Amino acid sequence: MKHLKPINRKAGQVERAAEDGKAPEARVMQVVTGCTSTLDPGWEVDPFGGIAALCQPVEADLYGCSDPCWWPVQVPDTINTHPDWSTEVPSAMRDWRKLQSVYNKK
Amino acid sequence: MTSKILAAALLALGALSLDPAAALSKEYILTSTKPNTLVLVDPAARKVERTYQIAGPGAPLGIVPSPDGKIAYVITNHWGSLVGIDLDSGNEVFRADLSDGNIRARNMFGLEISPDGKEVFVMRSPVRLGQGEYEVQDVGIAVYRTDAGLNARPDRILPVPRRTTGLFMAPDGSRLYAVNWDIHTLDPKDGKVLKVDKVANWERPNYGVPDVFGVWNHYEQAKVFANPYFAVRTDLDPKDPAMARTGMLTLDFATGAVTMNEFENTSAVIFSSVVNPVRRNEVFSVYNTLSKTDTGTNQLVKRVTLPHTYYCLNISGDGKEVYVAGTISDIGIYSAETLERIGEINLPGGHDMGGTWIRMVQR
Repeated sequence: MKHLKPINRKAGQVERAAEDGKAPEARVMQVVTGCTSTLDPGWEVDPFGGIAALCQPVEADLYGCSDPCWWPVQVPDTINTHPDWSTEVPSAMRDWRKLQSVYNKK
Repeated sequence: MTSKILAAALLALGALSLDPAAALSKEYILTSTKPNTLVLVDPAARKVERTYQIAGPGAPLGIVPSPDGKIAYVITNHWGSLVGIDLDSGNEVFRADLSDGNIRARNMFGLEISPDGKEVFVMRSPVRLGQGEYEVQDVGIAVYRTDAGLNARPDRILPVPRRTTGLFMAPDGSRLYAVNWDIHTLDPKDGKVLKVDKVANWERPNYGVPDVFGVWNHYEQAKVFANPYFAVRTDLDPKDPAMARTGMLTLDFATGAVTMNEFENTSAVIFSSVVNPVRRNEVFSVYNTLSKTDTGTNQLVKRVTLPHTYYCLNISGDGKEVYVAGTISDIGIYSAETLERIGEINLPGGHDMGGTWIRMVQR
C-alpha cells in the first residue's frame, strides 16, 4: 500500500484490513457486490501493463460497467443513484457524446 | 440383446421420431439489447426472428428460458425484478419484484430454473434503507414458483454465501450449485449444504489465491460450467513468464465433479467460456480474443483476435458454431473447428447488449 493513500473512510478500512491480515475480506474481482466494493483496476492499464487487453473500444464497455455498478467513480451507478443516466442512449458507440457527467444533488 | 429389449428400443426410437414437438423444434438464440428489449435470433438464418419490449425501465441482464422453450425469465428494472415473457404471445406472464418496503433488493447475476420448469432460483442481495444509512442484509436465493403470476412472492429463501454469482442445477434437479469463492452444492429444497469444493480457498502449495470472474449462465448445451481462472506462482520470480498462469475450472452439472487445471502462462484476458457439447474436451473462451482450449491435454489449441470485445458466448447444439455476444450490438459467428468468422447478426437499432447473457433455446 506504500503507493496508495486512502482518501475516504472506506478506503482506510481496506488498508487497515490488509495490515491486520484480513486481506481476504478486501479481495479483488470476485467481490461482485456492487458499488464501491470492487477494487478492480482496468480502465487505465491492463494486467500486462499495456492497453491492448482493455475492452476495445472503450465505448463497448460503458454499459458493462455502469449497469452492474462496477466502477461507480468512472461511470455512474445506474442501479441505485442515477438509473436514468443512459436511458436515452441505447447505443454508446454511436451516441456517447450524449452521456453526461453526474453530480450529487445538494 | 433379447427380443423384448430390442422391441422396447425400437418402440422408444419410434416414439422419438414421431414426437411432433421434437421433430419440429429448432434452435434459437435468446439475448437482449437496450432499451429493455429481449431478442430472439434464428442463427441458421442469420437473422433476428423477433423482439419483445419489456415493460418498465432498465435493460435485461440474466436470461433463463423455460425447459419447453416457451417462456423467458429475465432480470430487468435495474436488476430489481424478474419477469417471465411468453415467447409466443409476447405477454408478461410472471413478475417478481425483489424489493419490498424499505428493503431494496437486487439480483447480481445468479439465476437458474429447475429442469421441470416449476421453480426459478434468483440470487437476491437486500439492503435496508434507513433514514440516513443503509443496513446490509443477509443474501439468499429466492425461490419462486413459475406459476405464481404477476405478483410473485418467494416460496422460500435459501441461505447462501455472499458473492454467489452463479447458480446452476443438476439435470435431474436434485442439486443446486452456488458458485462464489468456492462452489457450494445445495439441496434445492432447503438449501442444506451437501458439498463444498474449494476454489478461491484452495490450498495449493506455491500458488496465490486464484482470481475467478464468472457472472454468466450459458452452459445449457454441455451442462458444464467452464470458467477461466488466473493464479500466481509464489515460488517463481515475478519476472518469470510462468509466474502468472491461466487455468480452466469446470463443474459437471450431472456428476458434480470439479476440475481446475492451467493451460498457459497468462497471455490474454478471458471473461467467459463454454464447452463444446459434442467434443467435450473443447472449451471456447472470449473477451478481446476467441480461444480454443483442449481440457484433455490442457493446451491452448488456437486463438484469434476479435473485431471488438465480447463478454459472453454460446455454442450450437451440433458443436459446429460458436456465438460471441455482449458489449455492442452484434453476435459474431465463428467456426468451432477453425475459429474463422463465418457470419454475424446485427441486432435491431444498433443498440448495445451490455452485460447481457446469450442463451440457446429449442422451440
